Amino acid sequence: MPALVVRELHQYFEKGTVNENHALKGIDLTLEPGEFVAIIGGNGAGKSTLLNSVAGSIPVTHGQIKIGDQDVTYQNVAKRARLIARVFQDPKAGTAPRLTVEENLSLAQKRGQWRNFWANGVKKRDRALFREKLASLGLGLEDRLTAEIGLLSGGQRQAVTLLMATLQAPELLLLDEHTAALDPQTSATVMQLTAQLVAAQNITTLMITHNMQDALNYGNRLIMLDHGRIAVDLKGDQKQGLTVADLLRLFKEQSGQELNDDAVLLS
Amino acid sequence: MLDILISSISQGLLWAIMAIGVYLTFRILDIADMTAEGSFPLGAAITAHQLVSGTGPVLATLYGALGGALAGLVSGVLHTKLKIPDLLTGILTMTGLYSVNLFIMGRANVSLLADVKTVFSLVDLGNATWDTILVGGVMVTLVIGALVVFFNTEMGLGARAVGDNQAMSAANGINNDTMKIIVYMLSNGLIALSGSLMAQTNGYADLSMGIGTLVIALAAIIIAEILVRNLSFGKRLITIIIGAVIYRLIIAWVLDMGVDPNALRLFYALMLALFLALPLIQKQVKQWGERRENRQRML
Repeated sequence: MPALVVRELHQYFEKGTVNENHALKGIDLTLEPGEFVAIIGGNGAGKSTLLNSVAGSIPVTHGQIKIGDQDVTYQNVAKRARLIARVFQDPKAGTAPRLTVEENLSLAQKRGQWRNFWANGVKKRDRALFREKLASLGLGLEDRLTAEIGLLSGGQRQAVTLLMATLQAPELLLLDEHTAALDPQTSATVMQLTAQLVAAQNITTLMITHNMQDALNYGNRLIMLDHGRIAVDLKGDQKQGLTVADLLRLFKEQSGQELNDDAVLLS
Repeated sequence: MLDILISSISQGLLWAIMAIGVYLTFRILDIADMTAEGSFPLGAAITAHQLVSGTGPVLATLYGALGGALAGLVSGVLHTKLKIPDLLTGILTMTGLYSVNLFIMGRANVSLLADVKTVFSLVDLGNATWDTILVGGVMVTLVIGALVVFFNTEMGLGARAVGDNQAMSAANGINNDTMKIIVYMLSNGLIALSGSLMAQTNGYADLSMGIGTLVIALAAIIIAEILVRNLSFGKRLITIIIGAVIYRLIIAWVLDMGVDPNALRLFYALMLALFLALPLIQKQVKQWGERRENRQRML
């Protein structure tokens, strides 16, 4: 059974007004379990709209979304959370700043599950696990379990957010340009960490990136969106050995227009 | 002098319960909930009515608090399910509660005669003020204890996350609306409890006793935050008691100076404005000082 099925997904913004924007024009996408898909595309191509539709933060009125055997088309973000974990572009967005590192981790550990009002939020027996997981990041965070997470740097917070997302393996992991707000070196570290965590549990992943090289280096499938449609879809072997120049040429063949490298890189 | 201190402590303890209630919405959810000024007299009205009708003081107090929680439920639903802005939600519920309180009491003021048993007459230390301190102290301790436990449970962590970062809490499967409603109910339940206790210590419930209470509660919170910055949740709640006592002391001192009691609410408002501006003023003064030194260095 596929991990994710998106069928005939359309999204319109300000429908019926002069500003109408047909952001997604019938997306059909099927992800097999364990597929790690990088999504690229210029400004307004529909990358974020697609991800937000899958996450549930934009309501779906045209089309269908299934995760595993469950139809989630009409479920909200919180309801879908038992299946989906998400890392946002803004490092601040994925954590609760006034809560401590261990409190954030505990929250994420119960993602999508019922929360009791008699059970301790942070359990003693989990601390060893948290410490071990944090130590594996190599950022020295294992000694800062009780520090408010708002005190950590952007890169540290993003690394913890990734850990939170994979603490309880999701059916689907959504990465929304999650390295875009970081400096190049931290960005590379977080990207490697992503690959590690995803591979360790073979998590089905949808990653938006503005970085074509990252899209080529990471993941086993690459999708390029253009004006709300899938313009290029490369799997496994087709993706091997490809260069940025190849991608640009492919894009031109498929969409009939020139793609300025900067338009992708800088968007 | 000692009398003033002791009476300020007794009053401060009761106000602290209200301030802690306000703190839950104001700081944890970052919502300005004006329901407070309706749920405070609601707690007083329910308890006074129950006591006069012969209900025991513990049960009458509990009913008062539950009434407040119900008012919180109304505001919470209006705000989360109907998406009415928090400030308007509070005004709506507060306005509606005015009539509700009038229905409950049947008239604008209900006096508790001396022979009516209150929670404060459950103990007898030979002095009404000390009774208030004992009962009020036990109540505040129970409230803080229960809140600290709750906000460290799985659900409590969820509630704090909602106040911190709603995108994050939703992405982790927390129902933001439900959590907000729970906090609304806790908050207004405590505020009504404070109103209920206040009616019992003052010996009456009055329709207009809610006016200005939000300012008193906020002042206690802000004083606590000025005294000590950045505290953990439990310690912050304890400093709010100190904030409430200090505020009562200031009021007592002002009245002692011969200020017209009719001017008291104007004074409440001015003082809260001052407290709110204090951090900025402190920063300005410090910057002026640094600039003065810098000018001399640069001469």
